Amino acid sequence: MGQTSLVNDDPPVVRVREFVKRYRKLKAADGVSLDIRCGEIYGLIGPDGAGKSSLMKAIAGVLSFEGGSIEVFGQTIDSEAAAEKVKGRLGFMPQGLGLNLYPELSVEENIDFFAELREVTPVLLAERKRKLLAMTRLDRFLDRPMKLLSGGMKQKLGLVCTLIHEPDLIILDEPTTGVDPVSRRDFWTILTQLLRERDVTALVSTAYMDEAERFQRLSLMFGGLVVAKGAPEVILHDVPGTLVELTIAAQVDALVRLEKRFTQVEAVGSKIKVFVPDVTPQAASAQIQELLTGIKIEQIQVEKPRLEDAFIALLHRHHLSGKEEDSPAEMVWRDGVPPRGDGIAIVARELICDFDHFRAVDRVSFEVRQGEIFGLLGANGAGKTTVIKMLTGIRPPTGGAGTVAGADMRRASQSVKERIGYMSQAFSLYQDMTVQENLRLFARIYGVPGRQISERIDRVIQLAGLGPVCTQLAGKLPMGIRQRLALACALVHGPLVLFLDEPTSGVDPIGRRRFWKILVHLARVEHVAILLTTHYMSEAEHCDRLALMHAGKVIADDTPAALKTALEQEAGQVLDLAAEPVLSALEALEQAGFTDAALFGRRIHLLVKDVDEATARIRAWLSERDIRLLDITPRAPSLEDVFVYRILQQERQEATL
Amino acid sequence: MNSRRIFAVAYKEWREIVRDRLFLSLAFVVPVSLMLIFGYGINLDVEHIPFAVVDHDKSALSRDYLHRYIDSRYFAYQGDLASEREIGPLLADSRIRLAIIIPPRFEENLMAGRSVAIQTLIDGTFTFRTSSSKGYVIAINAAFNSELLGNYISQRLGIPLETAREMAQPVTAELRYMYNQEIKSVWSIATVLMMFVLMITPPFLTALGVVREKENGSIYNIYASTVTRGEFLIGKLAPYVGISILNILILWLMVARLFGAPFKGDPLFFFLASVIYVICTTGIGLLVSLLVRTQVAAMMMTVVVTVVPSVLYSGLLVPIASMDPAGQFEAHLFPAMYYTDIILGSFLKGVGMEQLWGKVLALLIYAIVLWTASFLMFHKRPKS
Repeated sequence: MGQTSLVNDDPPVVRVREFVKRYRKLKAADGVSLDIRCGEIYGLIGPDGAGKSSLMKAIAGVLSFEGGSIEVFGQTIDSEAAAEKVKGRLGFMPQGLGLNLYPELSVEENIDFFAELREVTPVLLAERKRKLLAMTRLDRFLDRPMKLLSGGMKQKLGLVCTLIHEPDLIILDEPTTGVDPVSRRDFWTILTQLLRERDVTALVSTAYMDEAERFQRLSLMFGGLVVAKGAPEVILHDVPGTLVELTIAAQVDALVRLEKRFTQVEAVGSKIKVFVPDVTPQAASAQIQELLTGIKIEQIQVEKPRLEDAFIALLHRHHLSGKEEDSPAEMVWRDGVPPRGDGIAIVARELICDFDHFRAVDRVSFEVRQGEIFGLLGANGAGKTTVIKMLTGIRPPTGGAGTVAGADMRRASQSVKERIGYMSQAFSLYQDMTVQENLRLFARIYGVPGRQISERIDRVIQLAGLGPVCTQLAGKLPMGIRQRLALACALVHGPLVLFLDEPTSGVDPIGRRRFWKILVHLARVEHVAILLTTHYMSEAEHCDRLALMHAGKVIADDTPAALKTALEQEAGQVLDLAAEPVLSALEALEQAGFTDAALFGRRIHLLVKDVDEATARIRAWLSERDIRLLDITPRAPSLEDVFVYRILQQERQEATL
Repeated sequence: MNSRRIFAVAYKEWREIVRDRLFLSLAFVVPVSLMLIFGYGINLDVEHIPFAVVDHDKSALSRDYLHRYIDSRYFAYQGDLASEREIGPLLADSRIRLAIIIPPRFEENLMAGRSVAIQTLIDGTFTFRTSSSKGYVIAINAAFNSELLGNYISQRLGIPLETAREMAQPVTAELRYMYNQEIKSVWSIATVLMMFVLMITPPFLTALGVVREKENGSIYNIYASTVTRGEFLIGKLAPYVGISILNILILWLMVARLFGAPFKGDPLFFFLASVIYVICTTGIGLLVSLLVRTQVAAMMMTVVVTVVPSVLYSGLLVPIASMDPAGQFEAHLFPAMYYTDIILGSFLKGVGMEQLWGKVLALLIYAIVLWTASFLMFHKRPKS
């Protein structure tokens, strides 16, 4: 308590105590308590249905609630009239890409409307508009109708509109979900800059675990509960353990053994990651080597656990993880000998799709092998879903060709179509039917012979771990299990090629891992070719190969490791540094010629060719300007670094054309 | 009330409507097309009823009888048939709606003083048209009878034909149609249709406009800002009331010019009463929008709460006075009936404020109740 007493003397901007929100029978939040201090960026992290939105709306005074208390700026929010008293000092941006904006109005008209509503004087409005538009680089698009902006631009406009009356507390509900990584970086930089300039407090929610380091303090939420809260370091400190990363050729055998002992085992591409709780790195590595005696370990590395590992460990600790089902890696699932993993299952060649006024997919080419997990990574609106729709024959391409399982999907016979499985973004499940009834229906639709139906259903139930919920209604299942049911429905006819459109969007980390376990089994053991789309950078690491999509184009296509290596060769290594004050440091670095320096939470990332030379130069440059360099370390690039670099590269190329 | 915020909301709404081509055309094209479709479609006058005859007598008298039908504008002669057997298929095919069969020795029997029955077959599938047809047949038949009687009396008593006919028909009804001298049903229908269209379109537009904002989440801008409930509702609905006022003028012009109904009342009074009526119906849309979450639900509900009362309980099809007490009571609950009286009074009867102030007051109360209820139901801090 002692070391934080300086900050705690100020009353918190927001004080939530035992907050309870119910929607009819459903409890969305169940006893949430937290304090948000003046001037901090406070994060709410959790999957869909964790209660984040309900809490944020209640704090913003736009949702009534059933229990507990909320104080904002010392005002108890217990009635509509009470909420009105603080609304002048609040800015609230609800969830959804640009959904709170007016599509028919131009960028400027949207801003002007918010300003008029908030009674901003014309002089102040002109000044703020100029500043915010320059910051967001929206000044070139003043007259463009909002509906024609890209997802990232919509989100930045939303931020400008929320900030136009200079609120003291801003509440942003999932502002970065589905936004491309460059816009996401811009977004965070703008937010940080604005918060530093004035004494503004921000409450921001996100579904991305890897955004945690951007918050001073945060609450991890799950099922209406706060599972942990505090600074990211503090939360990690509460869950001691080591993350061991293994490279093993006989991946399936190793997985089987590791899963018997550890609860947090994950196959990430060609690697296996194991969270070993409570022990030192040496002990963890020794434990694993002992467990895997007889299996050749090509590489073993220990790392600091990520927040996601801590979150999952906490969910297990609080018994919120649900029941563990039998490991799918031990099951044999399809009849006969599965095709060996060399054939090419999916080919996309120069696929083009034009909509009314823009090109949604622009000459996209790639190949997916049998037994491979191939990921299309990109923001909302990048064209991922359209590619899948063209390959599955749902939408005819404007140009180019696609073959799946050796047949052109435009002319494919029903028998070919029955060899592929497709799980669409929107749930295609029948909510009023039980798990078994849904599976039986899909088996019939896909033409599974009558005698085999029961057997097939039993197998996919086992595979997807649906045994305990067999007789429940699909609509009553939690998100994670429903996702697995949708997968089971896509698998019931034993397809060789599987298309999954954002299968894990909004699912909690444990649910996501279980889902991936099934996918890895399908690919490794059954040699099913899997094409999936995602906007989670961290999830993309699981894929064997990746195509990065941006604005309809594939801007890079390789294995995750090769993508990172290529970045290091082309642009150099990532330097990760912390400095105080961080914004002056960022500005100084940009002046020094490090144009790609970007803010990453309270740290700065930049790409350098020569680490030693750059480190020395940065030290000197910053000390000349009285900026304290706290630490500076080279770091392996993440996929996000790769993606950001490739998008900027693409934009530069297009600008020079 | 802060006029700047009201204006901000109204201006934003107006520009959204104007930019959204589909919505804008919905606002003006739909009322006009409803007027055209129903105005030309609902014709309650029964004329040109197709009919055929079977004349077994083929005498001068039988031809005289039949010509009364053939020459009438209410009937359209389709031809002579050889026998009764041919009637069935024609009736079944709807090529004729009526058949007249003259028995053999029609003239001879009549001249001998024996009564004769003429079989007349009428298509009974549409009761309204059937009863009109029946009325015409009876009238023509009665006229023929009284002429025959007149002829007979004149011959028997040796008095002039005129006097004889008056003796045969001592009482005659002298009819004069008030307000709609030519009893053109299109006059009454076009005017009442104006009530119907202004009952349906304003709530539709309003409900869609408000629910759209709820559905896509931009309503949270309103919830989270300092704009008050009243300011929002007034600003939001002002453009819709404005559109409806334009529609009043367009429909008025159509009724008067296109359908030729005479306007005999006070234009200013009628205009103001109509404005109160659309404020009232806009309020219905607002209330609907507060009860539902999606645009589809808003449309369904608007249809139910507006179409049914405006068709059944407005006097459009059935006069209120001919309803049973329960129906009359229900009719008084809906604003449609009052405005129907105002329209008919202003157009055809030429009465004004002195006779119709009660109806206007009823509409005004209705509008106040609807808007107050909506204001009380609209919350910036809802439960979900």
